[in-house]
Amino acid sequence: MYVLSPVTDRVAAIREKYRTAKPSICTARYRIVTDYYRENPQLQGILKRAKNFLNICERLPVLVNPNEVIVGWQATRYRACALYPEISFGWFLDELAAGTIPKRDTDPYDISDEDTRYLLETGDYWRKESLSAKVDEYIPLGYFGAAGSGVTYFGTTGTCTSPTGHFVANFETALHRGFGAIRAEAEEKMSELEGRMYGNGAERYNFYRAVTIVSEGMIILSRRYAEECARQAALETDPARKAELLEMADSLGWIMANPCRSFHDAIQCMFLYQIGLCLDAQQHGISFGRVDQYLAPFYEADLAAGRITPERAQELLDLFYLKVAEMNKIWPYFATLSGPGYTSGQLMTLGGVTRDGRDATNPVTFMMLQSSGRLLLHDPPQSLRIHKGTPPELWDAAIETTRIAGGVPTFQNDDVIIPALMARGLPLESARNYCLIGCVEPQGCGDEWACPGGNGTESFFNLLNAFLLAINDGHNPMPAPDGSRGGRVGLPTGYLYEMETFDEVLDAVRQQIEYFVGWHISLVNTWEMVASEHMQLPLLSATVDGCMESGRDVMKGGARYNSTGNAAIAIGNIADSLAVVKHLVYEERSVSARELYDAIMADWEGHEELRQRILNEAPHYGNDNPDVDCFARWATDVYGDAVNAATGPRGRWAAGLFPVTAHVLFGMSTAASPDGRKAGTPLSDGISPVQQMDRSGPTATLRSVSVIDQKKFSNGTLLNMRFHPTALASESGKEKLIALIRTYFDLGGMEMQFNIVSADTLRRAQEVPEDYRDLVVRIAGFSAYFVELYRASQEDIIRRTELNL
Amino acid sequence: MAKELTGKVYDIQGFSIQDGPGIRTTVFFKGCPLTCPWCHSPESQSFAPQLSWLAARCIGIDTCGRCLPLCPRGALSPGERVQRPGTGEEIRLVRIDRSSCDVCGACARGCYPKALEICGTDYTLDDLLARVLRDRPFYENSGGGVTVSGGEPLCQPKFVLPFLEKLKEAGIHTALDTTGHVPADVVQGALAHTDLFLYDIKQMDGALHRAATGVSNERILDNARLIAAGGGKIQIRVPVIPEFNDSDAAIREIGVFCLSLGAAVEMVQLLPYHNLGVVKYQRIENRGKVLEAVPPSEARMHELVALLKSLGLDATLH
Repeated sequence: MYVLSPVTDRVAAIREKYRTAKPSICTARYRIVTDYYRENPQLQGILKRAKNFLNICERLPVLVNPNEVIVGWQATRYRACALYPEISFGWFLDELAAGTIPKRDTDPYDISDEDTRYLLETGDYWRKESLSAKVDEYIPLGYFGAAGSGVTYFGTTGTCTSPTGHFVANFETALHRGFGAIRAEAEEKMSELEGRMYGNGAERYNFYRAVTIVSEGMIILSRRYAEECARQAALETDPARKAELLEMADSLGWIMANPCRSFHDAIQCMFLYQIGLCLDAQQHGISFGRVDQYLAPFYEADLAAGRITPERAQELLDLFYLKVAEMNKIWPYFATLSGPGYTSGQLMTLGGVTRDGRDATNPVTFMMLQSSGRLLLHDPPQSLRIHKGTPPELWDAAIETTRIAGGVPTFQNDDVIIPALMARGLPLESARNYCLIGCVEPQGCGDEWACPGGNGTESFFNLLNAFLLAINDGHNPMPAPDGSRGGRVGLPTGYLYEMETFDEVLDAVRQQIEYFVGWHISLVNTWEMVASEHMQLPLLSATVDGCMESGRDVMKGGARYNSTGNAAIAIGNIADSLAVVKHLVYEERSVSARELYDAIMADWEGHEELRQRILNEAPHYGNDNPDVDCFARWATDVYGDAVNAATGPRGRWAAGLFPVTAHVLFGMSTAASPDGRKAGTPLSDGISPVQQMDRSGPTATLRSVSVIDQKKFSNGTLLNMRFHPTALASESGKEKLIALIRTYFDLGGMEMQFNIVSADTLRRAQEVPEDYRDLVVRIAGFSAYFVELYRASQEDIIRRTELNL
Repeated sequence: MAKELTGKVYDIQGFSIQDGPGIRTTVFFKGCPLTCPWCHSPESQSFAPQLSWLAARCIGIDTCGRCLPLCPRGALSPGERVQRPGTGEEIRLVRIDRSSCDVCGACARGCYPKALEICGTDYTLDDLLARVLRDRPFYENSGGGVTVSGGEPLCQPKFVLPFLEKLKEAGIHTALDTTGHVPADVVQGALAHTDLFLYDIKQMDGALHRAATGVSNERILDNARLIAAGGGKIQIRVPVIPEFNDSDAAIREIGVFCLSLGAAVEMVQLLPYHNLGVVKYQRIENRGKVLEAVPPSEARMHELVALLKSLGLDATLH
C-alpha cells in the first residue's frame, strides 16, 4: 500500500511559515514598471514589453532566504504578491482607496501605509495606460445595447482584467537548450534579415530582437541569484549550508545560459523560468505542464550516477512545491468570489501516455503525489492523466492522495481528451502530449496557444440566463442592484405565456444562446486584437513551438497550434428548467405557462407549493432519467456547436463546461428559475446536477452527466463529487472508487475530482476554524484551505451532495 | 387478461457496496417472516404497503396543507407546532390517525415535499430488470452485480426466482441476502441462479432464537446445509446483539456451525448492533418491539472477530 514518508525539518519549518504568513502586497515590481513606462513613452508593442522585462530582471531585488535551495521571487517579502499595473489597475486603486483590501472577507492582503500612499499618488497614471483602459476604447458600438444580459458578463468599463495568462511554456526547450542557445538562434535569424526586411520582415526582425532581449533578461536574473548565493556563502559559518549555497550558486550561474545538467538544475530552471513568465505577463493560470515528464530523465541520470539520493530529490521537490505555494496574485474582490482561496492556478500535469502512446508513469510521478500528500498545500494543483494502461500502484497512490490532500490530484481521461484535441487540430503525437492549464483545460504541452481563459477575462457563459431571457422577451429579469430594470438586452423572443408549443420555447432558447455566443466571441476577439498590440509575450514565445520558425509572438498566432477557449455554466439549472417547462406546462398541462412565469418573476413568493412540487416531483438531471438528461445534452450541444464553429484572429474557438466558482458569483445576479431555484442563490456547479437534486446515487449521476457529448468540449469539463470519509477507509472502498472513475471514463467522461470530507467536519471547521487550519478542500480546478473561503463558497461545498461508498 | 406478475419492493439502492463484491444495485423486497427487535429497516417487515411520515420534510400546513382535504377517510388533521429544522421557521405539522388510515396513498401522491410517502412499490419483472441493468457498466468494471435483499425476498418466490434467473441470463453476478427462513424447495430453486448467499445466522440456541425473532432457527440451519451441499457459496452474517448473542460462547457456537458447512462458507461477517433504526420505527409508527441498547464497543467486536479467526474462519467486521 502507498504510504507517506515524513518531511525533513527544513521543509516542515518552511511549511509552517507559509501557513502562518499573511499574504501582503509588494510594490517592488510596480515601482520598476511605473518608472520604466513613464520614462519610455517612445517604445510600443513587443519591444516595450521585452525591454520592460529586461529592466525588471536587472532591478528587482533578489532574495535568498535561510533554508531555501530553490530560489526565485516576484516580490520582496514572503507570501507577498507583485502588482501588474500595465494589465488593469483601476479596480485596485478603488479598493485601495476604500481601505477594503486588508479587510475583505476573502483573500485579504496586508499593505503598509507608506505603500498605500505611494500607490494612490502614482496610480492614476495607469488608469489610462493600462491595457484594460485601452480595451474599453474598442468596445463595439452595438454591444452597449446587449450589456447587462447576465449571459455574457462583460460590462462596458473595466472589461479586461486579464488579457494574458492561462498558458504553458515549452519547459523542455528551456531545460534542454537554455536561453543562451535561444538567444543565439534569434541573433542568427536577425542577421539573416539585416538589410533584407521585405514583406513582414521588419515585424519578424523585431520579434527576434525581443527574444534576444528577454533571453538576456532570464540569464541576468539567474546570474544575480547566483551572485547572491555566492555572497551569502562567503559569509556563512555553517559548512553544510556554505556548501549548499555554493552548489546553488553553481547551478544558478549555469542554467538559463546553458542546458541543465542535473535534477537540481532542472527544478531551479523550471521554477525561475516560471517566475520570469509571471513577472512578465502577470501570474494567472500560468501552468507547469507535464512536470514528471520533464524531470524524470534528470532524476534517473543523477540516481544512476550516484549524484543524488531519493530522499534529497524528494526534499528538492517539496521545496519547489513550497515556492509555488507562496506565490500570490491579488484579484478584484468580485473576481475573487469566483476563485477564492489565494489560488494562482499553477497547474501541474502527471501521468498519461507518452508521445508514442506508451504509459508515461515514472518515479517522479509518484514523488509529485508524495509532495502533495505530505505538504497539504492549497497550490500547486495537480491533474493526473488516466488511460487504459495506468498502473495499479499509481491508481492507489492517487486515490490515497486525493483523500488526504483535498482533491489533489484531479483525474483526466486520455481516451476522451486526446481525440477531442485532435478534433480541434492537434496531430496525434501532440495531442498525446497534452497537459492541463489553469483548472481543467487541455492543451498541447509547449506547442499550442489555446488561450483557454479567453483573452480579456475569465470567459464564462451563463446558460441559465440565456433561458431566462428567452422566456422574458430578451429582458434580464434580475433587477440591477439599485432595483431598476433595464431595457431589452437580448433578442425579442416573446414571453413564455405567449409560446404555444414547447418547440417554440426551445427555439427561443437556442436563439438567445447563439446570439450571446456571438457577442461573447466578438468581444473576446476584440480584446485579443488590442492585447496583441500591447501585451505580446516574447519570453513565452521564445520557447513555444512555432514562434521561432514563424518569427511571430504567440499573441500574433506564432504558435504551431492555436485556439481560444470559453466555458459555460449552469448546465444542471437549464436542463431542469427545460424539463419542468416541458413536462408541467406543455405535457401534463398541470401548470399554466402564465402561472409558472409569474412564480419565477415573483421569486416564488406566494408560490411555495408549486416550488415544492417542482423540487420534489419534477424530473431532475443527475438521476439517470433520459427525459431530463436529454436537455443537458441539448443545451450543451447548442452552446458547444456555436462556440466550436466560431473563429478568432488565430484560429478556431473551443467550448468547455466548467465554472471555477463562477456559479456562486453569477448565481448572485441570476433571477429565480423554473427548476425551483430562488434568485441570487448559486447555480449548479460544473456539469454536476443541481445541488441536492441528485438523489439516486453516484452511478446514476455519472450516467446522466455522460449524456453530454464531452469530447465536444476540448476546453475541459469539470465534475465534482463529495464522498463521506468512511467511503475510503477500506481497501475495497478505494477499489470501488477506482471502478467508479473508470466506468465514468468508459462512458465518455472527461474529468472527475473529489472531496472526501463529511458535512459534519465542514460545519465544525466553520465553528472552530483554528482547529481546521490545514483542511484543504477541492473548489474547482484548484483547492483551498476551507477556513480561508468566504461563507457562500463554504456553504456551496457543504451543499454538494454527500455520497457514501 | 391475468394480472401481470409483480414484486413488492420498498427500496432500490444504486452504488451499493456493502452487500457483496464490487459496485452493486440492491433491491429490497418488502415483507419478512421474522420480527427481530434490532431490525434497522422496520419498513421491510410488513408485506403490505405502509404510510411513512418524515416530519423534517413537512413545510407546514399553513404554507401547504394539501394533504388534509385529500384524505377520503379524514385521517389527517392539524398537528403540533414545531420549529422547522434548518430554517428555524415555526410551522404546524399534520397529525395522522393511523386507525382511520387504510394506506390508500392519496395524501402521499399530493405531498410535494414528500413528507408523506407510501412505502412499497409494485414492479413488473421487465421494469425491475431494466432498472437494475442500467448500471451494468459499473458492475463490469468493479466485479459487482445485483443483490436481492429485503425483508425476506424469498417470501416472494414467484417473482424473485425468475428475477434471479433473468439476471443470470443477462450475465449479471447475483447475491441473495436471505434470512433462510423459507421452504427448502424455494432455497433449492434460488441455488441455481445465485452466485453468493448473504446468510444470517443469529443464534444457535433454538429457544433463544424463537424468543427474539419469533421463529425457530431449525429451518434456517437446515437451509444453510442445503446450500452448502448444493455447491452454493455463502457469506455468513451475524448481527451482534447485546445480551442476545454477544457472548464468546454464542459466537463460538455459530463459528463451529459455519465450520461444519465446509468450503461453502467464504467469510463470516460480524455486524455490530446499532440503534439508528429507531427513528424509522417512528416514521411508520411501527408499534412492534424495538430494542434500544448500547452498541457493542469496537474493542469487543474485534475480540469476537479474533475468536472466529482462531477457529480457522475468515472473519471480518462489516
